[in-house]
Amino acid sequence: MRQRYAWRSLLLAGLLAFIGVSVVLQIVRIQNSPEATIFRVQAAEYANVLQTFYPERGEIYDRDGHLLAGNKTVYEVGVQLSDAHDKHAIALAVAAELGLNPETLYAQMMNPPDKLQYLVLADYVDSDRAAQLQQLQVSTAAQTPAGQAGSLAGLHFRAHPQRSYPEGSLASNILGFVSREGRGYFGIEEKYNNLLAGNPIQVWVPTDPHKAVDIPRVPDGTTLVLTINRDLQASVEEILDDSLTKYGAQHGTIVVMDPQTGEILALASSPRMDPAQFWNYSSIYHNASEFDRAVSMPYEPGSVLKILTMAAAVDTGTVAPSTPFLDTGAIMVGGATIRNWDDQAWGQQDMIGCLQHSLNVCLAWVSTKMGAQNFYGYMSRFGLGHLTGIDLAGEAAGRLKVPGDGDWYPVDLATNAFGQGVSVTPIQMVMAASAIAGDGRMVTPHVLYAMVRNGRQYSVPPQYAGSPIAANTAHTLNQMLAISLENESSNALVPGYRIAGKTGTAQIPGDYGYEAGVTNASFIGWGPVDDPKFMVYVWLERPSASIWGSETAAPVFSLVAQRAITILNIPPDSVRNQIAKP
Amino acid sequence: MQSTLLRVDYLVHAYRQAPWRIQRQWLGGFLLAVLGIAMVASLYLDVTAQAAISGRQIQNLTSDIITTQQGNADLQTKLAELDSSSSMEARAQRLGYQPVDPTQLQYIVVPGYAAPKPDILAVAPAFRPSAPSIPPEYTESLIQWLQDTLRVNPGMSMTGIVQ
Repeated sequence: MRQRYAWRSLLLAGLLAFIGVSVVLQIVRIQNSPEATIFRVQAAEYANVLQTFYPERGEIYDRDGHLLAGNKTVYEVGVQLSDAHDKHAIALAVAAELGLNPETLYAQMMNPPDKLQYLVLADYVDSDRAAQLQQLQVSTAAQTPAGQAGSLAGLHFRAHPQRSYPEGSLASNILGFVSREGRGYFGIEEKYNNLLAGNPIQVWVPTDPHKAVDIPRVPDGTTLVLTINRDLQASVEEILDDSLTKYGAQHGTIVVMDPQTGEILALASSPRMDPAQFWNYSSIYHNASEFDRAVSMPYEPGSVLKILTMAAAVDTGTVAPSTPFLDTGAIMVGGATIRNWDDQAWGQQDMIGCLQHSLNVCLAWVSTKMGAQNFYGYMSRFGLGHLTGIDLAGEAAGRLKVPGDGDWYPVDLATNAFGQGVSVTPIQMVMAASAIAGDGRMVTPHVLYAMVRNGRQYSVPPQYAGSPIAANTAHTLNQMLAISLENESSNALVPGYRIAGKTGTAQIPGDYGYEAGVTNASFIGWGPVDDPKFMVYVWLERPSASIWGSETAAPVFSLVAQRAITILNIPPDSVRNQIAKP
Repeated sequence: MQSTLLRVDYLVHAYRQAPWRIQRQWLGGFLLAVLGIAMVASLYLDVTAQAAISGRQIQNLTSDIITTQQGNADLQTKLAELDSSSSMEARAQRLGYQPVDPTQLQYIVVPGYAAPKPDILAVAPAFRPSAPSIPPEYTESLIQWLQDTLRVNPGMSMTGIVQ
């Protein structure tokens, strides 16, 4: 009986063995087929993905630790058109949540450019608004299945980082902005872009979860601490905006610096923009030099430059404060007649009177008496025609013509002495004047206070740019300028504080000579004279209320100085003297 | 002679294993092999499954770290917005404060007092150690381990230390 059925068992076993062997052979055949090679190559292509790990861009703080520039997450809201069954509902929902026009959105979805399948409806959407829209999509999905009317299926959200500026447009001229690609433009963002951005690291990451790889630690970008005092910056910007309105000026610039260290405490320029909305740049500025007029826009400063001429003359011994000068109202230099601002003769004066009344004739006489070599040597040592080296992007050097240049004429020696025919930036003037305020030692203006990287702080020490004049000369000039302001009862004076300074009213050169009836009004001053803690430069462009710097820029200086002494806690002279004499 | 041959046949027949016994031995051997292969396969499956789960967890945790960092940055920005100059000014005005006039300020001389000079008030970023390095035991194969071990200890063989 067993023999009878044995052949069936053998047949079944043989059949199963045949199937098994066939399966194995088929496996081997497939593994070694030409198609397998193609699949292996394709699999190898997808086995790893090159991921770039970007460091978080470094933050920017003011000197007291207030965040000026940070990072935040924003969302791109887009729609996958093939999945969007109710475009009308999507347009209405997105428009309602994001404040957009629903008809425009609907038209975009119905007529996508280049027949795109994915359309970006809005970008840089705040996380709160994006969350509301996402919530609406989720709740709608629960009520309305995809494919039915009212469904928001097809709406997509993509998170990406964006530079944030919690203070809005505050200090935007200093900070600059960061583009969509993460590159800094203007100001600190451009100057220190490499430090702030850090170094991205690329790693091949296997898609197979079996193959875990080390994700390298990507150090964040360097955090920067600026010398800016946020509260003073806000006050200065407020004063500047009010002054532009009050005096009808087209634009303006105010710089506040510590003349002993070169730390820029505040720097305001108009117009300003919200750096978070950097795409508005081209509608606000016509060219790059307008972004920060304090460092990028040279102009003829006018009489504020007389302080440098006088400093050079005193330093060379050409004149002293008591040197007499008979002002006849005109002086001939290089074949041209130089006149005073009022075309009047001021009679017998000394050098303090020359500064007090801002006499062009007197200063032209001083420069010619000093000689071109001395004059231009000093102007060059004061930094005119050279970059100051301030750590802000886009600095301009201005222009100082010197004998030997093709466009220099002997009359330039006279006109340059009172700030005509020479172009400087406000930051150059501030740096040059720091030599007078600070015992003859000139400081390099800077905005960076410290860098913080990996928990370590690297402070930036003050840098000095030479000593163009002697300390005695600086003391003499301080007294001359303080007395001239006091004698004049200047609008720049600050009650309780001794201030040194000088006004400037400069005609504006055009294509066919100087424009009639328009000026640049300036003022440079510092205080307290015996221990300067602040230096303020004011430049108002084309003020219409008055063309004179003494009536426009000088009172603005006084306002800024009063705000500075309050915020910086600078006691009045009487209190400081009391401290000095315990 | 014949009786001797008969005795040998008897002994051979007596001590020859029964056919069913031989079949059982073969079957036992086969089942033992199958069991061994199944054990190795299940161990391999368990280890690879755990490795896959761990790998996926690492990927998720990496994603969580990035999300948390973004959240921190968002919160920092929100805090700075609440603390911004314009916000603080508005709050101060709501509370009845007004900008001080310099003439209203009164300075009091305190002998020996030195005002604290702000050195640096920005919060330094917290130290973030690198992700712990993955031990080679989690990534290398048995053959790689053997190769590495032999490379490091060339005097070692599978049978022990040789001179």
